[in-house]
Amino acid sequence: MNLFTRPMELLTAVVLEEKSDAVVKSLLELGVMDFVHINKLAPEQMEKLSSRPSSISRVVLEDTRHRVEALLRQGQVALPSTDILDVKNLEKPDLDSYNVVLDTLGKKLLVLKEKQKESNQLVLGFDEMHRYINEDKGEYLDLRVGEIGHGNADDLGQRLASFGGLLEPYGEGKKYISLTLRRDVSQVSPLLDKFDWTESSDVEAQKMAISLITHRLEEEHRKAGMQRSEIEAEVNDLIKAESAKLISIWSNLRLNELSDQIRSYFAYTRNTTLFSGWVPTDQADEVTKAIFRSSEGQCVTEWTDATQVPRGEVPVAVTSPKLLEPFQKIVNNYSTPEYGTVNPTIFVMVAYLIMFGLMFADVGQGFVLLVVGLLTQLGYSKDPLKKDGMLSRNLSKLLPYLGASSMLFGMLFGSYFGLSLFPALWFNFDAVVSGHASTGSIRDVYGIMGLTIKFGIIVIYTGLFLNWINLFRKKDWLKLTLDKNGIVGGVLFGTGLYMGFGFVKTGYREFPSAPWVSIVITVSLVLLFLRGFLAYYLSVKKGGPKHGMGTVVMDSVMEWLVDLLEIFGGYLSNTLSFMRVAGLGIAHATLMESFKELSSLSSGVGAIAIFVLGNVLVIVLEGLSSGIQSLRLNYYEFFSRYFTGKGVAYEPVGLKTSFSAQK
Amino acid sequence: MRQDPTSLYGFINAKLRARIGLMRESHIVEDLLKAKTVVEAVAVLRDSAYATVATAYDRTGDIQQMELALLYNEVEMYQEVSKFLEGKPAEFVLRLLGKIEVENLKNSIRLWYSSIVRRRPMRFRSEYLFKQKLLNDIDWTALINATNWDGVCKALSNTPYSDVVKEFTEQQLDDSGLFILENKLDRQWYEQMMASTAKLSNQDRLVAQSVFVVDIDLKNLLMMVRYGWYYKMDKDVLSSLLLPWGKVYKDKSIREFIQKSPQERDPFAVIEQLYPGLTQSIQQIPEEKKGSVHQDETITLQNLRIEAYLHERRKALYKRMLASDPFTIGVSLAYFFLYNEEDVMIKAILNGKYYGYEEDYIRGVLA
Repeated sequence: MNLFTRPMELLTAVVLEEKSDAVVKSLLELGVMDFVHINKLAPEQMEKLSSRPSSISRVVLEDTRHRVEALLRQGQVALPSTDILDVKNLEKPDLDSYNVVLDTLGKKLLVLKEKQKESNQLVLGFDEMHRYINEDKGEYLDLRVGEIGHGNADDLGQRLASFGGLLEPYGEGKKYISLTLRRDVSQVSPLLDKFDWTESSDVEAQKMAISLITHRLEEEHRKAGMQRSEIEAEVNDLIKAESAKLISIWSNLRLNELSDQIRSYFAYTRNTTLFSGWVPTDQADEVTKAIFRSSEGQCVTEWTDATQVPRGEVPVAVTSPKLLEPFQKIVNNYSTPEYGTVNPTIFVMVAYLIMFGLMFADVGQGFVLLVVGLLTQLGYSKDPLKKDGMLSRNLSKLLPYLGASSMLFGMLFGSYFGLSLFPALWFNFDAVVSGHASTGSIRDVYGIMGLTIKFGIIVIYTGLFLNWINLFRKKDWLKLTLDKNGIVGGVLFGTGLYMGFGFVKTGYREFPSAPWVSIVITVSLVLLFLRGFLAYYLSVKKGGPKHGMGTVVMDSVMEWLVDLLEIFGGYLSNTLSFMRVAGLGIAHATLMESFKELSSLSSGVGAIAIFVLGNVLVIVLEGLSSGIQSLRLNYYEFFSRYFTGKGVAYEPVGLKTSFSAQK
Repeated sequence: MRQDPTSLYGFINAKLRARIGLMRESHIVEDLLKAKTVVEAVAVLRDSAYATVATAYDRTGDIQQMELALLYNEVEMYQEVSKFLEGKPAEFVLRLLGKIEVENLKNSIRLWYSSIVRRRPMRFRSEYLFKQKLLNDIDWTALINATNWDGVCKALSNTPYSDVVKEFTEQQLDDSGLFILENKLDRQWYEQMMASTAKLSNQDRLVAQSVFVVDIDLKNLLMMVRYGWYYKMDKDVLSSLLLPWGKVYKDKSIREFIQKSPQERDPFAVIEQLYPGLTQSIQQIPEEKKGSVHQDETITLQNLRIEAYLHERRKALYKRMLASDPFTIGVSLAYFFLYNEEDVMIKAILNGKYYGYEEDYIRGVLA
């Protein structure tokens, strides 16, 4: 893992046009180049370059790929992953033959689906009659018992089926039970008359008719339902049988899309191909070798160091171990760090987990979070097609960490599902909150608040320190020294803390009166005031625009005033903001105490139920609040000190480049 | 105690605005159009808010089951929004479900009519109807199983529709069809909605009525062209069918139009006066079709033009609503409009794909 963003270099290469296909393949295989359009050459050079339209539009390739994906998903076949892509299999896509395959399969599926629809309609018809029988709504049914005088029973059965009816033989001879819906009586009666239907007066037969016909109805319903499910399975089987062909088509389409994406950055002269892109420095040699090898040495490559390009144009690559993935996502969700600055992931991880642990300290509840996280992950890994639920894939990866943190702090504070089963390793949080703490380093809630404020100060100073490192690396000396988040800001914050803690120490009676305090504050304020003027002077020196003296003074004064407000108000509120950590921790302990009390008022199963429900409620509500508050403290209190988020993400084109399953 | 608009609408309107944002970003309709078959179209729905619709297709292969799933989604959507509101606005939103109830009732009566009066077996088709309670206690099962019109009336006896259906006899329906009955049911819904808007706060009332008035204008305009001019309907019947609200109904030229003998009626003069841009668009149809267009097709195209024109006006109205006071019922109404617009498109495209129409043809119909 690199503490800073990965150093990058810009490659510009020229290869012979005839070798460009091989070069594309090798670059695609490496998948490390973030291409840039060549548009910064001198105009006379640009004139000599041309772009070449693709023989097949990428949109067409994408649309065809989506067709393949639609069919695979209809068959419950998991979409292929990028792992199956191999540049050796890249060939010119034969879209006509692909479409023939897809159209043929589509037609077969439509035929099956039409059959499934017909089965479904049978099921619906039987459902209706069955429901009336079950709900004792015989008035909607037309049940007849009788004999056919002439004609064929099969013929009558088929004609009754056109009304959704059934004809069931019973006894001997031409005795039948007919079941239709009463709403069709005006058509069914004349039909039965045609077959010379005679109603039976056999009471026994009338009695058994309903059970006989219900049995038949259930049988028909079962058959139709089964047929419907079988067709659904047949659809899946058909697609599965074609899946190898479909995946092969998908793979070639995807490779061609990527290849076309790379080619879209290429510029051409009559015989050569020119391209450019960013590569992490540690992979530059590999790229050079690959280009050299694939072009058989007929190439020219030139590397430009990132320092020679404006920082904002350099793409930012960060490397974090897989272990830190959930926290990397938290950082990415906020923004991309600036090139050359600190990758904050590890700091976010530490800060987030400590914050969460302080707010949600309990071994038992933490264990539940851990298990839920692991089980959810297992569920997703077993069913890759499963849609993200309330516990998304990302959250399920974060939960085990949160659970572990919660367990660790639970041991430190001696809380096991709200019970003090073992002595606290640090201090008993619940006892402190309920006012019963007689041992330990912290014995009242003020102590807890003080603890979280001190934690907040560490977080803020860590943020400031990271900012100073970033500014040092950027050689932005003015901001490093005279900015509100620079050294002056840090000194003022430190002085404020000294004053604040001194004030508390005297029992809120007086501020400390050390002589250096006023000197430090005065010097810092003067330096801050001078910053605007210095910034203007340096800007003009570098060729920036000149302004009138009045404007410069006004700008500087206004900036100074805003900085003062931000330093005195911002630092104070940022620090006090960490009291929410104590607040939520206290709320957590109080809620558990309340449920314990409630549980003690009951006994047996009731007591256990209250205890279990209380824990579930606390896990869900407090777990959510603690997660959100930790995120908020990281984003606002921590990131605002050093994280500019001005970076451009490094997006190399390669076989692993993500693709959208949905258009 | 009456809640202030900010606390009443703050949460739900923010939620709906977020959904509207997602709807605008969504390219579901475009992707559906591009799908080559209904099977491929269903894949588009799979990871969307319409996943239940895709599941219905997987399970049944039946396009009408997909439509039923869409209807369930729509009902849930109204009920969900209503839950986040309170008092009269919540009631008002629930009242909007009445439109679905009326449509469902019309569909049920059509099925009944086809089965009993026209003697075409209903079979499984009744299972595509929505049978849960929406607003009123309609006995849907009794209705579709009624063997005569009295049975239908009885199934609706404890509902506001009772008086309307009792005005008709089976013989009348057999002779002249369901058109007048359906129209009266629609009219009753509009009456209820206009009455319901009167209970809203001043601001909400103005917003809600402006929406209904555009809708009513569209209906009246179509009625005038289709029945007043093309089918040459008698003036008394025509007068009774017009909905008594909105710009079109109140215009003097409309009354003159109705009073004229059917042969002398000229709807375009009226339209020209009310919506100047629309007449030109309608009169261009024969030219666009190079004069070869049949009269039946002309009237269909004219209706489509009118609908499209007023649809655009409605769209503009909803856009204005979204840009104006954020704490009114307007955001909810705009959301319903956009939701329904997407819903209608999805239904139309799925049907188009099912019947094998080409992408361009479907686009042409939807445009």
